[in-house]
Amino acid sequence: MTEMIKLYDASKCTACRGCQLACKQWNGLKAGQTEHKGTYQNPPTLQHNTYMLIHFQDYVAPEGNVKWLFRKEACMHCTTAACVTVCPSGALYYNKEFGTVGMDREKCIGCKECVSACPFEVPRYDKETEKVSKCDMCETRISNKMNPACVKACPTGALKWVDKEEAMKMAEARVQYLGGDANVYGDKFVGGTHLMYVLPEKADVYDGIHKDPKVPVTISLWKSILKPLSLLGAGGVIGGSILHYFIHGPHKPHPEHYDEPKKQGGA
Amino acid sequence: MKNKMVVVTSGYERFVHWALAISCLTLCYTGLGILFKELNFLGVIFGGLKGLVTVHDFMAVIFAISLVLAIAMWWKEAGIFVFPEDWEWIKAAGGYLWHLDHVPETGKYNPGQKAFFLTVALCGLLMVVTGFFMWYPEKLGGDLMDWVYVLHVLGFVVIFAFFFVHLYLGTIGNPGSVSAMISGKMELPVLRMLHPKWVKEMEHEGKLMIANDKK
Ligand code: HEM
Ligand code: SF4
Ligand code: SF4
Ligand code: SF4
Repeated sequence: MTEMIKLYDASKCTACRGCQLACKQWNGLKAGQTEHKGTYQNPPTLQHNTYMLIHFQDYVAPEGNVKWLFRKEACMHCTTAACVTVCPSGALYYNKEFGTVGMDREKCIGCKECVSACPFEVPRYDKETEKVSKCDMCETRISNKMNPACVKACPTGALKWVDKEEAMKMAEARVQYLGGDANVYGDKFVGGTHLMYVLPEKADVYDGIHKDPKVPVTISLWKSILKPLSLLGAGGVIGGSILHYFIHGPHKPHPEHYDEPKKQGGA
Repeated sequence: MKNKMVVVTSGYERFVHWALAISCLTLCYTGLGILFKELNFLGVIFGGLKGLVTVHDFMAVIFAISLVLAIAMWWKEAGIFVFPEDWEWIKAAGGYLWHLDHVPETGKYNPGQKAFFLTVALCGLLMVVTGFFMWYPEKLGGDLMDWVYVLHVLGFVVIFAFFFVHLYLGTIGNPGSVSAMISGKMELPVLRMLHPKWVKEMEHEGKLMIANDKK
């Protein structure tokens, strides 16, 4: 496996939204009903038919300067992906070639377990198809040695599709070059993500960013403890019943329980 | 001579009990198919995993209704412990673990059955409440939902194990008791063994209904 990273350098992004449109086009997604919120950010959040979105944010820096911050939001393609762990149908899976998280919508049963589990609030449910959807890193493209559609569309070089080692080097070099609060986002949690950011500002100043994403601990309780326990418990009871039957024997009436004394019975 | 048969359950009681049993068993079966990816194939008979989930959703409604009816019906007889007689029974483990000539007498249901009833009632309610929120996870939001899934599976662990306990004790573990679920009648001696005090009370009040069975 050559782990691949989609590296998004926010300092090079002009928020042209070429990627957002390319994503819609490649995946054949129609525009949905939206709402004007006094910003170019449109639609306001990810939707079942919007797998990625550029965030626009007016940010007043501590020195008093107003900055316009951009951020690409999409599935982060976690190395330890909560969604894959909980998905009961196999609709969500790890791509063995690149380490990304693919999705087979045919298999999705719309149980929404991934919606609750994902620490980045990525999967979105569609009432009409009763299925969930998310970015699959353009699996049909990357498997055929093409760049993801959003990367291909990016005119400024803010988006790159590169192998992990190189991506980490590029990101580090860029952080050095930018200086100040610049940092890499995506390498420190959930085993590392396959969408990573270079951010010119501290991560916490970005609206809607997940500061400390974690795979919910309840998932291991659910999947690693209770799940096997359900079979162990039932198996134990069946075994116990058989033992009881042969050692103690069934519960039978005593002679005194009969109207007239009889020979039969008696435990 | 055949033993006298006593009417122990009404048609309504049996109907509710069967509805609860069948829906619970179907929920366990479909739940297993959802919980274990290796068991996804259990959905084949329903046309796939989506069909399996649809059956789970439908049976959930039957289960919820029959659970409420069952609780309303059995609460008084099986939901409340009566001391000290129930305590005597507990100390003797009901005669299930070691041999006793005289199992301490209790009301219609013994403490084992009461504990069973209470567990099923509470776990059943837990399943209905958590299952409901699994239909509408957005009502609770991520952090609480994480626990809802844990509780749904915890309830499953308990119910699935108890189901087999119940099956054993209601059939081959206590020969003669399964007829209460089928014809609604039980043999008098079996009844005297399992519910001695109840039989005495009913005899005393002249309410014991002997079925006029052909010999
Ligand atoms: C005896 C009662 C029940 C049992 C034994 C049971 C068992 C299970 C199990 C084992 C799962 C799999 C959980 C997982 O994926 O980890 C499950 C899923 C689920 N259950 Fe239940 N359940 C019961 C009752 C209910 C009820 C009453 C409801 C609804 C009110 C419900 C709604 C759900 C839902 C929504 C799911 C998620 C999968 C789906 O989309 O269907 N369950 N159940
Ligand atoms: S960001 Fe969410 S949907 Fe994407 S891989 Fe991670 S857990 Fe899954
Ligand atoms: S909603 Fe679909 S993708 Fe998400 S966990 Fe359920 S089956 Fe898997
Ligand atoms: S990788 Fe493909 S699906 Fe994902 S955001 Fe880019 S264009 Fe959309």
